[in-house]
Amino acid sequence: MKKVNIFILSFLLFSVSLSAQSALQKQVDSLFVIASSGELKYRDLVDPAIEKIAELGTPAVPLLVNKLDTKSARERLTIINILKKIGSDAVPYLITSLQNPNGLIVQRVCWALGDIKDSSAVQPLIAIINHPRWHVRDQAIGALGDIGDKIADDAVISGFADDIGQVRKAAAVSAGKLKILESLSLLIHQLGDDFYGARMSAFESILKFDTSFVIEKLTDSITSDNRFVSALSCELLGRFATDRAIDLLYDHIDSPNLYLREKASLALTAADPKDLCGFRNVILQNVTDRLSLLKIESLINSYDDQEKPDR
Amino acid sequence: MLKKTILLIAVLLTSVSAQQNTDKTPEQLGLEHLTDYLNLKPSDISFRPDYTEPDSFRLQVVSDLMTQPLGMIDYIDKLKNSYVKKQPELMAGYLFQDLNKAGNTGRTQAYYADISEIQQMYNLYYLNSSLNQLLTKAAMYIDVIFPKSIDKSLALLSKQEKEFLINEFKELLVSRVEDEFLSVEAMDSLEKVEEGYIEEFVKFGHKIDKDPILDAGINCLKELSVEIYNLRQQLRSKSVTAEKIISDVPFMPDNISFESYLGKQTGWRIGGTGNDYYSGDYKFILDFGGDDIYDLEYDPDNPHGVIIIDLSGNDSYRSQSDFTLGSGCLSVGILLDYAGNDRYDAKSFSIGSGFFGMGILYDAEGSDRYNGDTHVQGAGSFGLGLLIDEDGRDIYDAALYSQGFGFIEGYGAIFDIKGADSYYAGGKYKDILRYDDHYLSLSQGFGYGLRPYASGGIGAIVDIEGNDSYYSDIFAQAASYWWSLGVIYDSSGNDYYNCFQYGQGCGTHMTLGALIDDYGNDVYFGKGLMHGVGHDYSCGLILDRHGNDTYTAYDLSQGAGSANGTGVLIDNEGDDRYSVHSTKNTQGYGNPRRDFGSIGLFIDLGGKDQYQGLGKDNYYWKTNSKWGGGMDIELNPPDSTEEKK
Repeated sequence: MKKVNIFILSFLLFSVSLSAQSALQKQVDSLFVIASSGELKYRDLVDPAIEKIAELGTPAVPLLVNKLDTKSARERLTIINILKKIGSDAVPYLITSLQNPNGLIVQRVCWALGDIKDSSAVQPLIAIINHPRWHVRDQAIGALGDIGDKIADDAVISGFADDIGQVRKAAAVSAGKLKILESLSLLIHQLGDDFYGARMSAFESILKFDTSFVIEKLTDSITSDNRFVSALSCELLGRFATDRAIDLLYDHIDSPNLYLREKASLALTAADPKDLCGFRNVILQNVTDRLSLLKIESLINSYDDQEKPDR
Repeated sequence: MLKKTILLIAVLLTSVSAQQNTDKTPEQLGLEHLTDYLNLKPSDISFRPDYTEPDSFRLQVVSDLMTQPLGMIDYIDKLKNSYVKKQPELMAGYLFQDLNKAGNTGRTQAYYADISEIQQMYNLYYLNSSLNQLLTKAAMYIDVIFPKSIDKSLALLSKQEKEFLINEFKELLVSRVEDEFLSVEAMDSLEKVEEGYIEEFVKFGHKIDKDPILDAGINCLKELSVEIYNLRQQLRSKSVTAEKIISDVPFMPDNISFESYLGKQTGWRIGGTGNDYYSGDYKFILDFGGDDIYDLEYDPDNPHGVIIIDLSGNDSYRSQSDFTLGSGCLSVGILLDYAGNDRYDAKSFSIGSGFFGMGILYDAEGSDRYNGDTHVQGAGSFGLGLLIDEDGRDIYDAALYSQGFGFIEGYGAIFDIKGADSYYAGGKYKDILRYDDHYLSLSQGFGYGLRPYASGGIGAIVDIEGNDSYYSDIFAQAASYWWSLGVIYDSSGNDYYNCFQYGQGCGTHMTLGALIDDYGNDVYFGKGLMHGVGHDYSCGLILDRHGNDTYTAYDLSQGAGSANGTGVLIDNEGDDRYSVHSTKNTQGYGNPRRDFGSIGLFIDLGGKDQYQGLGKDNYYWKTNSKWGGGMDIELNPPDSTEEKK
């Protein structure tokens, strides 16, 4: 008899739990329709609906992850937004979701983890950086940079060797966010990457490093055979604008390589916008090409315009 | 000797290099020059095919152009060069080539009919051999080749799946004015229903092979063109009159059934030179002249080919149902009008509409007026919709998905050769997602796919002469959405382009749009996402080669890349004026998404230009964005010695 009672009790509890779950599902679904609505006239209802789902907290997380394979970009953004609002409470379930067989869900979970920035996700993210799907590698490495834990340095560095430009881009961005000194040579090399996203992201990341350390590393790259490495190195020196950077650029404003001459001249002009060093005349005399000259004059004019009060 | 050889080689290399440089178009030189200034290269403008899972509806042309979007310039130049006057069949054949699916190695041909298949069916009624040739060919296609070709196209589909095409699939393109009043729940429910249709369709849509029915339509057009030419030559030479052709018939007994006589069967009519009235669901009409009225119907549940040939007169064509007036619905519809100022008043899926088939309307002469609602005036879905108008001052008016519109595996195009034309698209179905006072257009050189389920098609307007006006609202004028291509090419005339948003060389969501205007002092006016803008792995390009042009926009325009897209504005010549309201995201601007930037390029290669915005005449600039900039230079500076004179 006792056994039967326990069975009935268990059954009732199970039923209650199922019913509660079903009620929760209904609640999330109905709020989600509004939260992800894109119509102009319902826009005022969107934020309150997002907040209400976020307030449901952890129990809502599996239901949201289930929706992450949505085909709708708006729904996807809404889910990530809600997960971000739930914050660290969502992380344990999101970590288990990194093992989801659906790569689309995994890449989006990575994105959410990066937004939440909880360091408990770092090791699980490192564990999937060799995922066969490049989108996952891209998002995982990106998330590691967003979280900002130095434990991830080696994992991020491994991304520089990826075949896919987007993953190399993620490595460059995260290397900048984590300021991984060991990646500096890789970043400079990546200034010549065939994929512009990787190339330009490397440029942006290098700007985040300690200036003097970077300048020494750039000394040789100014004259690189890869024109992008050469041009972007000049531009970096122009941005750093230290005495050493200016000296390095000045050495090349009469280069027989007209391409390098132009890039060094532009960078030098940028490094000294008020011509405090008095190099401007030399630069203008050295530049013979009509359009190169126009580029430098345009740059000078842009600084002059900034000085004008009405501009 | 060695020195001489080295010198010779150096001279040769220099001359080859100079040759290569002069072979380049101004726009190529401009692109190379500006990208270099920004530490980019033209080939950076390229998109991967696998940002999302590729679907089975993607067109090879779109797929290829996504990997090198600047190839759109060459694509458009070839498209306009492919036009041959008075030979619409050549244009149809050319466009058919571009409907090849990605990865497809061969194209399926139309059903091949033996002439005996038709000769057994009919007796000759008329005595004129040219007329009989024309009727025989038409009958062969209408009775045998079209039905058997569509069977071939849909051979792998079940009966229910075939019915789905003209019911649920059609609904994906049909809008209702009342939708703007729905509640959020009702709207969501409606969206879910449509999503359900799409999911259902993608399960079997890949089994459709549109090629046989399109091939049949093109072959028919080729063969009819020859016979029509012969007949018209006879009439022109005055060796015979239309009256004589029609009246010259053998003696027929009173009790004979006309059903077995060519040209006299049900659904066929041959009209004389008077003003005739045609009403109903026809298969074939040949009208020799007069100001005729056509009230035409079509029943998609009983699809069939329709051929209408009107040799002259100011005619009025009126739809009594959808799928009329040069409309191919699960078949082929051909309307050829050779003269007169005509008026075409259609409902939807009409006036050069190919819906799982081919629809062509060819109007050779006269100032004409084209009115319609949805999927009209050169619109193709799993098919080819073509409207060719060779002369006159024409007016095109439609609401949605029209005027050079390409949906999934579709090519929709307008070729207008002469005359000051005006194109209007929109004003009926509100863009409830974004605005309460703007209307969707999705027209005028617009390609459209179902994101993220099915890649779209190609929409194009090619207008050769005349001062033309293009008016639209949201999504139009050389724009596209989701793995598609939207194109406008306007060769000459002082043209006016007005579009509120997403237009004039705009791509949104992994897709391509390009507007090229060769000559004339043109005006480009809009609010945002205009004048060369690409959003979300897309490329939008506007290229104006000559003339003193005026560009006005509010924001995110004039060479703007957004969410890893690329926007390019190139103006080769002329004293131009550029005006923008916001300097934060215009005239060479890119914004970051997915942790990296986009590309925005603004290029002006000549003339004394005026700017309201970031640009200046004779100036290079980099915007404070990721990543973009512009230049206004004199690519070919005036000869200073000439100036002194």
